Amino acid sequence: MSTWFSKLFSGQDAPDPRLNADQQRLLADWSRLPPPDLGRSHRQSRYVVVDVELGGLDTRTESLLAIGALAVTDGLIDFNDAFRATLATDGPPPTEAEAGSDRPSAAMAPADALIALLRFAGKAPLVVYHAVFVAKRLERALSEHLRLDLPQPWLDLAWVMSDLFREVSEMDGRLDPWLDHFAIESIRRHDALSDAYDTARLLQIAIAKAARKGFDTPASLLELEKARRHMHQDG
Amino acid sequence: MCNPATEMLVSACIGFLRAFSPFDRMDDGALRFLAESVRLVHYPQNAQILTGEMGVARTLYILHRGKVRVGSGSAAGYVSRASHTLIPGQCFSIEALMAQRPSFDTYLARDEVFCFELPADAFLALTEKSTVFNLFCTQHIAGLLSQSQQQLQQQVVQRAGEQKTMNSPLSTVVRREPVSVLPETPIRQVVELMADRHIGSMAVVDSERRPVGIFTLSDVLKRIVLPGVSLEQPIAVVMSPTPRTLPLAANAHDAALAMALHGIRHVLAVDEGGGLRGVVSEGDLFKLQGAGLRQIRHAIDAASSAEALLHAREDVRQLALTMLGEGVGAQEITQFISTLNDAVARRVLDLNLERHDLYGIDWAWLSFGSEGRDEQTFTTDQDNGIVYICTDIMDREQTQLRFLEFARDVNEDLDKCGFPLCKGNIMASNPDLCLTLEEWEERFAQWVRMPEPQALLNATIFFDFRPLYGRFNLAHRMRLALLRQTQSSPLFLRMLAQNALSVAPPLGRIRDFVTDADPEHPGTIDLKKYGVRLFTDAARVFALARQVEATNTVSRLKRGGALLNMSGEEISASVDAFNFIQFLRLRHQHFEQEQGRAGDNLIRPDELNEVERRILIESFRQARKLQARLRLDYQL
Repeated sequence: MSTWFSKLFSGQDAPDPRLNADQQRLLADWSRLPPPDLGRSHRQSRYVVVDVELGGLDTRTESLLAIGALAVTDGLIDFNDAFRATLATDGPPPTEAEAGSDRPSAAMAPADALIALLRFAGKAPLVVYHAVFVAKRLERALSEHLRLDLPQPWLDLAWVMSDLFREVSEMDGRLDPWLDHFAIESIRRHDALSDAYDTARLLQIAIAKAARKGFDTPASLLELEKARRHMHQDG
Repeated sequence: MCNPATEMLVSACIGFLRAFSPFDRMDDGALRFLAESVRLVHYPQNAQILTGEMGVARTLYILHRGKVRVGSGSAAGYVSRASHTLIPGQCFSIEALMAQRPSFDTYLARDEVFCFELPADAFLALTEKSTVFNLFCTQHIAGLLSQSQQQLQQQVVQRAGEQKTMNSPLSTVVRREPVSVLPETPIRQVVELMADRHIGSMAVVDSERRPVGIFTLSDVLKRIVLPGVSLEQPIAVVMSPTPRTLPLAANAHDAALAMALHGIRHVLAVDEGGGLRGVVSEGDLFKLQGAGLRQIRHAIDAASSAEALLHAREDVRQLALTMLGEGVGAQEITQFISTLNDAVARRVLDLNLERHDLYGIDWAWLSFGSEGRDEQTFTTDQDNGIVYICTDIMDREQTQLRFLEFARDVNEDLDKCGFPLCKGNIMASNPDLCLTLEEWEERFAQWVRMPEPQALLNATIFFDFRPLYGRFNLAHRMRLALLRQTQSSPLFLRMLAQNALSVAPPLGRIRDFVTDADPEHPGTIDLKKYGVRLFTDAARVFALARQVEATNTVSRLKRGGALLNMSGEEISASVDAFNFIQFLRLRHQHFEQEQGRAGDNLIRPDELNEVERRILIESFRQARKLQARLRLDYQL
């Protein structure tokens, strides 16, 4: 049993005193959301695909620059159910010219951005391509800025795809070969939302294939991913 | 756009759509609405995307990635169509979505397929937002309609074997190189040539082969032998000058109509330069059982009593039936019936004028309703009236009495000839319909000024008037007065439009057709009330709003539609739809009368074959389009 499940019932830790009243209220609203039934079919479930952009030179100091997320609800992608946030870094605040420019979004404080992401995602299972990379970074940020452990599961599509499409050889574990294979065109590769959109379409392909193999619920897909990961790590 | 994330994805979607027609021509607002309303859906290889079993279509599919194979459905009697493949940028299934019925085709994913899917309500909103998209859908349907009609025509042609129909162009009717002579050729030489070649007629042409006359065998007796004309005289002396010509592209029906109209037996076919290309004789056209056109026309003109005219009228009916059996179009048949019925009515009027003295008075006999529109079918009753000029107001009552007496006799004679008396008393013998020009104008003006329900009903009958006999210019003055009135009365037009919308096309949401509108005849559709009327009512509004003088529905749609900036495809699609419904009506009446029943307009969709059902659905769709146009124009 993973930790998120036990946390779900034990409740969250005490609120972080660094958060203001609004932030605390929004976070409390989110934590009260009921968890989804992961035993329903893909066609009746909501997944949230997440990706991030990082900045900095080495992995320990690099910071979270942007978060993109896109829901796949009942198997469908609705452009209105999309999320993107640019995070303010520790550097100087944006100049007036930058703030007033027509950049896609003004930078948000990390805590606000993360709360907004949680409110967008709800308690839906979070889908990433390469959990080690994205999930670790997000979990670290959540813990650092909100003192929060995510209650919901991560689904790493890298494992799922390689299991479902064993016949497709020459895959080196990166995202691009999959996108090439399924002729998925990126809007702007390495943009957090664009990558989330690409991953979301891979997820659509994955759940259709999984359903044909009998893995027709989020819960069964999570089992499949776990088994594949363990097998690989054991091997 | 409040959400920058959505903005990025929508922009990308717009970028994709812009690469394809019709999206490349849509304005930014409409395209943005489309991109914001779609959802991206994935289908794995071999998945069924849309089939008839899935019920009424609720989604427009725009193929984004992959290939989709379209196969015909499995319904019995369905005309098989070769399956084909759709590629990204193409849409389906517009016709099912617009007709609110299940798809007839099956759509299968050939590989990993992604579709942008637009829900039905957003689809309808888009057709209202974007005229480009609306036009695209209409043309799609129109293309389908003409495709289906071609199939139907092929079937008719196959059934008739290699037999040529009245729709054949004259170029196929005249195969032989025509024999012709110059005007100065001596009569002797011409007659010898005719005897030698066994031909019944000789075209006379000028040095550039343009027809200047025609000479036939029957002229030999009347014009040469009896008057004792010298055979050395040039043929120009005895030929009939200025012969009727038709372009080679005209069809046999046009030739038949020209013969009936002018009481002639030959029509010359000419090429674009006016040069003679062939002689079309009545015998070429009508190797039919029973009477030929000209015989009927002749019988009508020679009839000396209503009883004699009854035979002619019966011949008209028989010939129309034969034409129907030959696959002649509904528009041609209804026009043909109207033309010959007009001839009968004119002869009845002629005969009665011998007994009634109306000398010195300007007057005209008017036709109303379907007769006024030149759209008579096999069953038709009388709808007529009289307009006259009364110079002295003191004489008015006396004059009207004379006309009423005359009209009573005419109405009775018409009844004897097979035009039953009108149950609604819409007849010239009704004092309300035997009026002076001023009274008619005042009456029209009153209906236009105060469009209450009865006035609107009257408008649908009387505003479709057409002069049949007498001073046609009186009717023309009535028309100008009427169009002046309607043009300056937006309220009247709006009410008339609303009235036209009071009956909706009998298309069902779940089943194809609504067949229970009439509780006494379940399972049927009244093609007059729920079919033809939808088109005639809409066409009337177009005509009155745009000063179109025509009363015929097809003419009104063509001229009024053009003035309303409807596209040529859109107009011809609605004309085709109207004609198809008329065709079904005629065929049904024909069948009913063969069974010895009074022809009604109640058809059973279940008894139509699949192609006909399909065309009928699309025809009703066209009626819905016309109504949508009215709604838009008059904000209803």
